[in-house]
Amino acid sequence: MLFQDHRDFIETLKKTGDLIEVTKEVDWDLEAGAIGRRMYEIGGPSIWFKKVKDYPEGYTLYNGSLGTWRRVAISLRLSPETPVREIYRTYEGRLDKPTDPLIIEKKKAPCKENILFGDQVDLYRFPAPMIHEGDGGRYIGTWDLVVTKDPETGWTNWGMYRFMIHNKRWLAGWPQPTSQLAHQMEKYYLPRNEPMPLALVIGTDPLAHMVATAPFRLGEDEAKFAGALRGKPIELVQCETCDLLVPAHSEIVIEGEIPTDQIVPDGPFGEYPGYRSGTMAEGVGFRVKAITYRNNPILTMIALGVPIDDSSIAASLTAGIAMKRGLKHRGVPVIDVYVPPEGVTHLIYVSVKKGGVQVTKDVLDYFTARRVMVSKVIVLDEDVDIFDSGQVLHAFATKCHPGRGIVVKHYEGRANSLTPCYSPKERERLKGASVAFDATWPPEWSTEIIPIKASFKTIYPKEIQEKVIENWKSYGFK
Amino acid sequence: MKQEYLTFVRQFKDLREGVQKLFIKDLTPGPRKYDTKYVKAELSRDPEKMKNGDILQIRSESGVLIPEPWGIRIIEELSESIPGHPWEDVFKAIKEKDE
Repeated sequence: MLFQDHRDFIETLKKTGDLIEVTKEVDWDLEAGAIGRRMYEIGGPSIWFKKVKDYPEGYTLYNGSLGTWRRVAISLRLSPETPVREIYRTYEGRLDKPTDPLIIEKKKAPCKENILFGDQVDLYRFPAPMIHEGDGGRYIGTWDLVVTKDPETGWTNWGMYRFMIHNKRWLAGWPQPTSQLAHQMEKYYLPRNEPMPLALVIGTDPLAHMVATAPFRLGEDEAKFAGALRGKPIELVQCETCDLLVPAHSEIVIEGEIPTDQIVPDGPFGEYPGYRSGTMAEGVGFRVKAITYRNNPILTMIALGVPIDDSSIAASLTAGIAMKRGLKHRGVPVIDVYVPPEGVTHLIYVSVKKGGVQVTKDVLDYFTARRVMVSKVIVLDEDVDIFDSGQVLHAFATKCHPGRGIVVKHYEGRANSLTPCYSPKERERLKGASVAFDATWPPEWSTEIIPIKASFKTIYPKEIQEKVIENWKSYGFK
Repeated sequence: MKQEYLTFVRQFKDLREGVQKLFIKDLTPGPRKYDTKYVKAELSRDPEKMKNGDILQIRSESGVLIPEPWGIRIIEELSESIPGHPWEDVFKAIKEKDE
């Protein structure tokens, strides 16, 4: 089934057993967040909170759209049991066919069923959750899709950035200063001192949210990749207060602008690396001009934290493929890239056709060239299944030379300030370091001196392997 | 009945008593809990000593709660936002505009 919106996805998850509807009243103030967090930590289903304290019937909360590989597979219309490697292959293959979006009339767009302008705007109309105790506020934008545009080139960017309620008509957000949104702001709006139009989209086709997490190159249009993943154009509709286009089947669209001369405090917030590490009060203000929403709007959220959750899973897939493409483009003999969700995009596995320290340096150069979101990379030979962290750990433990197999690079002005091990001073200056571990055999070693891996597949003759497999049950094993 | 508010500081050592401008969040239960206001207010370490004062909970930049709340007396409610540029440190912006 092709999902037109989040509601179609919900219906499918009901059928596959990947959704639980909670009809008991739940408090938006910490309780929904705590339930969602616990559910991630036991690997459970997504949750639809049908009755939220302080809010009328029909105003509901939904946590965990793509919080498991099963749900990612379902979103791509694959079998829920599809292995991660196959999910990566499918995603990678579909991206080759970008599909132009379809722009539909406003009267046909479900997200226009209700429209609030000017004084009618009240963000407290929606049950935005207080997700963690000690957060800076109620984050209405977590599993979101943020639309901005470069007016000179027409390039529209989709990103997933946090936004919290400041008051009834202002949001505070923190798109990282190294983000593409920040790039657009600095290139066009700040020099002209013009407010930047922005649309915050909540609850749409899960694949649209997924591509919003993807690090596509500057100028690439995520809406086309959403169409590519769906195999059909995504339907967009124009905003009420600006020319931005948003997914027409969204649950809630918050329209407004980021002023260049006014700010409000954002954060802190328990972020995707799994910590609340002090990044706050250095974001942007978002002045809301209109809100459009469906009848009975469903507010999507992530009780973000330690992996695995929607963020770490979606980023594993989207970042992994983007990194593979980037490394190829740079001439690295890459075979595969895997971003283990447990490593929250700080730790990356890269397998290469031919390794060695120079290739490891080339890999690290790629990861540190522009904004740096990655702090640790393990480079591996192609015989290691990088989708199996056990194999990666074994190779790292045994093949990475503690003296000459480690390459470190320091930088300033482009580090990921959410990296928890950075000091407050380092975060302030976007100062950091990345390390690559060469867990490959040196290319100058001849085959006669390369240690032989003592695994079933590598240390026994083929005929013995076949014999053992063929007779396995006859030995009395199951 | 005293009202309860919340504010954030980078570090607890940044706290000072007296009249100042700050962002506070209203902790009154209900659908508008955590609504943020920019105010001019007097702060005191001892809420009991503050006449007509309310309670101010204080958290650090990583969200750690200071064990003993302070007292706050709101003098004036100010604008919704403050002058500054995107990604500018809000605390520095308040300080600079105040001096």
